[in-house]
Amino acid sequence: MENKVLKEQVEKLAAQVNGEVEEIIGELVLKVKASYVIETLKGAKSFPNIPCDFLHDLCGVDGVDHLEAVYQLTSLRGPQRLRVKAIIDRENPVIDSVTSIWQGANFLEREAYDMFGINFKGHPNLKRIYMWDDFEGYPLRKDYVTEPIEVRNIVRTRIEGE
Amino acid sequence: MTIEKTEELLLNMGPQHPSMHGLFRMVVNLEGETVTKIDPKMGYLHRGIEKLAESRTYSQFIPYTDRLDYLASPHNNWAYVQTVEKLMGLEIPERAEYLRVIFGELARIASHQVCIASTALDMAGWSAWSYAFRDRERICDMYEMTAGSRLTVNNMRIGGMSNEPPAEFWPALKSFLDDTPEMLEEYNGIFFGNEIAQGRLKSVGILSKELAENLSITGPCLRASGVNYDVRKAEPYSIYDRFDFNVPVRYGCDSYDRTIIRMDEIVESVKIIKQAVRDIPEGPIMAKVPKVIKPPVGEVYHRVENPKGELGFYIVSDGTTKPARLRIRAGTFINLQMLPIVSLGWKIQDVVAIFATLDAVLGEVDK
Repeated sequence: MENKVLKEQVEKLAAQVNGEVEEIIGELVLKVKASYVIETLKGAKSFPNIPCDFLHDLCGVDGVDHLEAVYQLTSLRGPQRLRVKAIIDRENPVIDSVTSIWQGANFLEREAYDMFGINFKGHPNLKRIYMWDDFEGYPLRKDYVTEPIEVRNIVRTRIEGE
Repeated sequence: MTIEKTEELLLNMGPQHPSMHGLFRMVVNLEGETVTKIDPKMGYLHRGIEKLAESRTYSQFIPYTDRLDYLASPHNNWAYVQTVEKLMGLEIPERAEYLRVIFGELARIASHQVCIASTALDMAGWSAWSYAFRDRERICDMYEMTAGSRLTVNNMRIGGMSNEPPAEFWPALKSFLDDTPEMLEEYNGIFFGNEIAQGRLKSVGILSKELAENLSITGPCLRASGVNYDVRKAEPYSIYDRFDFNVPVRYGCDSYDRTIIRMDEIVESVKIIKQAVRDIPEGPIMAKVPKVIKPPVGEVYHRVENPKGELGFYIVSDGTTKPARLRIRAGTFINLQMLPIVSLGWKIQDVVAIFATLDAVLGEVDK
């Protein structure tokens, strides 16, 4: 299958960006450091013959000791699929925005910022998308404490005459 | 008094607005009636389904998927259970696969009928709305006789289907399929053939092919921009490689094509269901699945062609009974990105038309 061709190209790219290639349930996964993300995605977008040029999804994942930004790449012209994982430092979660490559990353990066607090450098409008603007904390992180029901009830009870 | 200057008008549309399909709000900058900027605001229906998934077992999460795109709930169930099955390496019985195809394609028809109806309604076409909704009722009836509920069907399980459709399901399905050409004829006559509808939709909101690809648009909106791409063909999941059907493509890139392409898709769905009804084998509908579902450590991404766009699930499993991370790639959430770009320069009533043809369901947008 052309998976072999894809694997060759991914391995070549991995050597350029200090990445690791894995195969998990039939899908190639390329792990890179956050600083190489633009180079990696640009490289994947311009693979000869089998470009992974469609940004299918972008999401954050909490890996407990680090954060990850996961890019699912496909193409509208072939069956090639590639998953790129960028490892982000948990204390200083900064990564380059890919909105310059795909405009479609706009909402997706805002969502990842909203839920995981990943700062996408160069994003045109990095604001919370689901939660309100003065919301504190990042809900999908593993260390986010969901308030117990008693606390929530107190917050929601209105004082008489308010 | 002299007029010193003109200034832009800031208009808040929604979250409670007749032409908003759910709790969606946009802040529109207007110069006269011309739109100069749109700022979409979502999150009014945000329930944190991704967070809830982390504290539910794999089976407990199935009903939550119904609440994503609630107009095509079997499809969401299907995408989710298939993802878990892929992660566990489960094979499911033939009959269950066929039943899933039948329910999935029925959901596609129902969803497209709602899209046609609500687009008509947004153009103030009340009677066209009633025709499409009348026919959708018959699909809801078929859901009801099988699963008990009319909207959130929830009849798929990890490993198969929850129950066999009753005996009266098959005649109802057959008569529905036989009546579809007549239904489509009616929609054509009352809505698509209507001069006002054509005037309001044709060449409004051009989404070019390049822009659509750059914006990660999927589903009918992509195909109405001239891209022949359908996951059912490109990467056949379930048993779609056994059916003979076409992928409708339109090249107008405008609101009219984004709506009428759904008519073409209904025709193809009817074809698929007819083949599935013809070929469906007898047999069990549930595979042998362990009582406690505990997928191995790993991660999987699976996508299906939802009526409104591609729905993807990305599950990271840590080997316990609950997912470590469950990500929902909602098609309409990403498709919504075109709204602020495509609507620029159009009048405020055209924005309503463009938003209607996107067929956004806020259950899926807000998760």
